[in-house]
Amino acid sequence: MKFMIEDLPVLFPYPRVYPEQYAYMCDLKRTLDAGGHCVLEMPSGTGKTVSLLSLIVAYQQFYPEHRKLIYCSRTMSEIEKALAELQALMKYRADQLGEVEDFRGLGLTSRKNLCLHPSVKQEKSGSVVDSRCRSLTAGFVKEKKERGEDVDLCIYHDNLDLLEPHNLIPPGVWTLDGMLRYGEQQKQCPYFTARRMMPFCNVIIYSYHYLLDPKIAERVSKELSKDCIVVFDEAHNIDNVCIESLSIDLTEDSLRKAARGANNLERRITEMKETDADKLQNEYAKLVEGLREADQARDEGAFMSNPALPDDLLKEAVPGNIRRAEHFTAFLKRFIEYLKTRMKVLHVISETPPSFLQHLKELTFIEKKPLRFCAERLTSLVRTLELTNIEDYQPLQEVASFATLVATYDTGFLLILEPYESDTASVPNPILHFACLDAAIAIKPVFDRFSSVIITSGTISPLEMYPKMLGFEAVVQESYAMTLARRSFLPMIVTRGSDQSQISSGFQTRDDPQVVRNYGNLLIEFSKLTPDGMVVFFPSYLYMERVISAWQKMEILDQVWKSKLILVETPDSQETSLALETYRTACSNGRGAILLCVARGKVSEGIDFDHHYGRTVLCIGVPFQYTESRILKARLEFLRETYRIRENDFLSFDAMRHCAQCLGRVLRGKDDYGIMVMADKRFAKKRAQLPKWIGSALLEADANMSVDQAVATAKKFLKVMSKPFPARMQDGISTWSYEQLIQHQQKLEGLKVYDTDNGEANGNGRHIHGDQIMAEAQAAEDGMGIDDDMDAAMMDLEAGRAA
Amino acid sequence: MSPVSKRDPRLGGGGGGGPDGELHTVMRGLSLQAPMPTDTGPAEVCPVCKSSRYLNSSLRFLVNPECYHKMCESCVDRIFSHGPAQCPIPGCRRTLRKHRFREQTFEDIQVEREVDIRKKVQAVFNKREEEFEGLREYNDYLNDVEDITFNLVNNIDVEETGRRFEAYQKANEKEIEENAQLAQQEKVSFSAMQKAERQQARERRDAARREENDERREVEENKRDVLNRLASGADAETVAKEGQQVQLKKRMDRQAATERQRQLQAASDSRNGSSNFVVKGLKAKQKAEPEAPIDPFGGIRIASKYFTLQDHYVWEGIQDTQKDVKHIAGGYDVRDYTHRSLCAAFSGLGVFIADEMTERDRATQDSEAIGTVRADIGLKDSLMADPL
Ligand code: SF4
Ligand SMILES: [Zn+2]
Ligand SMILES: [Zn+2]
Repeated sequence: MKFMIEDLPVLFPYPRVYPEQYAYMCDLKRTLDAGGHCVLEMPSGTGKTVSLLSLIVAYQQFYPEHRKLIYCSRTMSEIEKALAELQALMKYRADQLGEVEDFRGLGLTSRKNLCLHPSVKQEKSGSVVDSRCRSLTAGFVKEKKERGEDVDLCIYHDNLDLLEPHNLIPPGVWTLDGMLRYGEQQKQCPYFTARRMMPFCNVIIYSYHYLLDPKIAERVSKELSKDCIVVFDEAHNIDNVCIESLSIDLTEDSLRKAARGANNLERRITEMKETDADKLQNEYAKLVEGLREADQARDEGAFMSNPALPDDLLKEAVPGNIRRAEHFTAFLKRFIEYLKTRMKVLHVISETPPSFLQHLKELTFIEKKPLRFCAERLTSLVRTLELTNIEDYQPLQEVASFATLVATYDTGFLLILEPYESDTASVPNPILHFACLDAAIAIKPVFDRFSSVIITSGTISPLEMYPKMLGFEAVVQESYAMTLARRSFLPMIVTRGSDQSQISSGFQTRDDPQVVRNYGNLLIEFSKLTPDGMVVFFPSYLYMERVISAWQKMEILDQVWKSKLILVETPDSQETSLALETYRTACSNGRGAILLCVARGKVSEGIDFDHHYGRTVLCIGVPFQYTESRILKARLEFLRETYRIRENDFLSFDAMRHCAQCLGRVLRGKDDYGIMVMADKRFAKKRAQLPKWIGSALLEADANMSVDQAVATAKKFLKVMSKPFPARMQDGISTWSYEQLIQHQQKLEGLKVYDTDNGEANGNGRHIHGDQIMAEAQAAEDGMGIDDDMDAAMMDLEAGRAA
Repeated sequence: MSPVSKRDPRLGGGGGGGPDGELHTVMRGLSLQAPMPTDTGPAEVCPVCKSSRYLNSSLRFLVNPECYHKMCESCVDRIFSHGPAQCPIPGCRRTLRKHRFREQTFEDIQVEREVDIRKKVQAVFNKREEEFEGLREYNDYLNDVEDITFNLVNNIDVEETGRRFEAYQKANEKEIEENAQLAQQEKVSFSAMQKAERQQARERRDAARREENDERREVEENKRDVLNRLASGADAETVAKEGQQVQLKKRMDRQAATERQRQLQAASDSRNGSSNFVVKGLKAKQKAEPEAPIDPFGGIRIASKYFTLQDHYVWEGIQDTQKDVKHIAGGYDVRDYTHRSLCAAFSGLGVFIADEMTERDRATQDSEAIGTVRADIGLKDSLMADPL
């Protein structure tokens, strides 16, 4: 359907639109017009991606600036989904407009997923693929070939050079699969096609890391212009992604490997001095002149790029004491030796980068400045030595990254040395954590560089937290409720067992057999009443294991076993995917199954349990982080000192966002239904921190229940849900046809005119606000004319609850 | 203390002239004889008395920066207690003293030695970045220092390098001393700053904890208060509402107070901060003086004080010449002619022969000064500045 948002014609590839989708699009447009950043929370399963794409594509095609869209998502499957949506959208646009627009949309992922080279693509590990690809495509290899030496090249890469550089692939939207197929047909490398075509694309879809991880971003996303529209989808964890991209862990083993790498480099230098001393001399001369290698930027397969952010890069010449190759390797060796001695300390140390540097200088006479240039110098050296087996140098690269980072940032980082793996371990196994504490560091260049950054997810409450943590100002912050023609999901908070004693996964009561038994009863009851699949989330693996073994002894599992198959998530991803597969089979045939998993595990993040795959989700305990972790403690302190976020506020926020993620797993659309149970007395106080769409569906009466009350309510709910619900009943309430949309627009228009007449029109009057739309839609929902039988069912439900 | 395990059996080769070779064989031989626990790798063995750490876990190894041969503490005591003695490692003839034995900091003995050398080099080549005008010069200097160090470490041209080293040390004695002091100062102020920072962080942490406790206590009190009032029969809703408001207000007050505190703190911080702020970076470039116009006569004025040259003189003799194209094209300027004529006319006016005669007589007596006097006379002459 086609409609207007203010002056912008939007083509939406479905005949109906949800009110929240419309509101979302209005707010998006407002953000883009204002040229700022925004945080938007949209209920899961309400077509966020398609709304986003159709508005932005409409925006870029309609206005003369043709702003490019960079859409970032977390996982491969999400990227593919977005590409498919985009493809459908463009097809719809072509049908409607009667012409195919000149438009390119590409997805980018790692070489491992896009490689076509018959032997390279067989490799299992991503870094090996990268390294082997490099040995087939690097500039110096090509030069050798030109000189007539016998070296292997990748034909897929070579063929690209025969094409026009701005037209490597015809216009259109290319899914990853499509790219692979096209690449195979034309014998051209899909990975490099995508990389090189990035400046000529209207839409780029790739993973967060290509923008957030400075080690990659510098190389891949450098040429994108300022007016690009950047979208981070599923961004509820974006602060952790930022932090991880700048954190480094070093172990004794990795140091040993790094030392080996440095020794290898030394050997190669000696070899090269005998065979090809000119090259080294050349490099040296360039460094003396302070020249950055001009082709450095174009080197697509560069060994690594600087881990520090572009702003912090010194645009200086490499310091004199690491200019010579042999000086530099000696320097690295000394640094590694120093780190090794630090590893020998048998008590926990945490120190700031300046004090680390001071100690380093006292012991080894290594100054800060050459340290900062470590990464750059190493890249240059590796290029000069023409190394191809770069995966061997990975640990060394890590040490160099660490060196650069530690010498670049005085604050926002902390070094933590943990000599023992756990408090009870007696054999030391030291890890040196170089922990980034400030999420804003990694994302800052993104906010600085792009005028519109959109952060969106299904669960991103409380909205104010994100601008605070990431250090930006949002022009629009909005959370949308879910418009529903009937209450299709039932959130409940269970605080007490059937015996009225409180339940909690809190530290004090954790091992209390009564609590465990009450949780067990809850599980038994819900396993009986839930049709098909049921997912249970625990706060941690440790807790899950303990509870399961306790249940085993209490013979609770035996009872559950009668009604459902029980499957368990493990840290091993292969085992887990096997369990998932079995789970799905069991849900599709027979009585269904229960999946026991962990709130921060893989299942909670990326796996959907739509329809019969998940009718009940049970959160056992508040999924707090493990607060004894030193890194977390440091981060909490940092947040308190720098952003005035209190420790408890952050912990509670973090627990609730994970909880919301878990709850959202079972509801993947408006025709879906499910029960969400939060079982812990502490949830009662945290209601306000749930996303708006869950929070507003949680009735007061459901916020403090005992197990048997919850069971009764759930039974009533399922009874209502089992009645057929024709789609037409959603009309005008939770979905709008074109006419209904126009009607709403007119109504709002009327309101606005009224406002202007009253002289209240301010700057905002120009725009349609999402919350106005939502208010309207909500009103419609409240006053909906429901058919008689439906009404009766609802009454039934209410009555049941009152009883 | 370093743990027993996970030591690299190789100790790096060739330190200090290659005696490590023997060390290797000794160690290898031993590790063959006595198989060690597999996961901890070969334990360390004293090359002198062959006692191993596997049997005696309190064994400590020491090295002497003279030759970097490792031996156990008891061997050191035994051999060197009675004054300097020769290193017991076969092939090494160096004389060692007990007081110089020390524990090894780095696992790699090569690095241990390198760092010792660096210490010496650093103590002498301690120029600072701010002493250089250009980055290029600074980097070249760093490069040179590194070359010297590298040579010393790897025994390349030791003698030549040593000479360079000493020469530099002699030439720059004073600067070296000054820079060493500066570095010391910096170190002291840095550690003071670190300490202050740690202290502040601790205080802030405590404050936050106190705040949290206060708040918790208040909530409790409030609850009790509400209960009391309810018990005394007040209307439940108003009590609850009031309670909430009181709590909210208290919270706001507290927040405002901490905010004020923080601002004060920040203000004082910035004041303190400026006092021990260290300026780093290159030395400010000295701008060259703007070049003065060329003065071929070295400041001597040649314009005569007896006349000023006019542009035009009404005199037939030159009228035609002045306009003659042939002359002008040749570059001839009549003013040169008039100037010369005037000079000739006035010359001699400031010259006093008698004075000059006496001067000359004196000059012959004082033959040493003759040059200067001559110059003086010349000066006076051409200046024609002598008062009449
Ligand atoms: S150029 Fe492309 S096809 Fe060739 S090895 Fe690299 S990734 Fe694979
Ligand atoms: Zn001994
Ligand atoms: Zn010796």
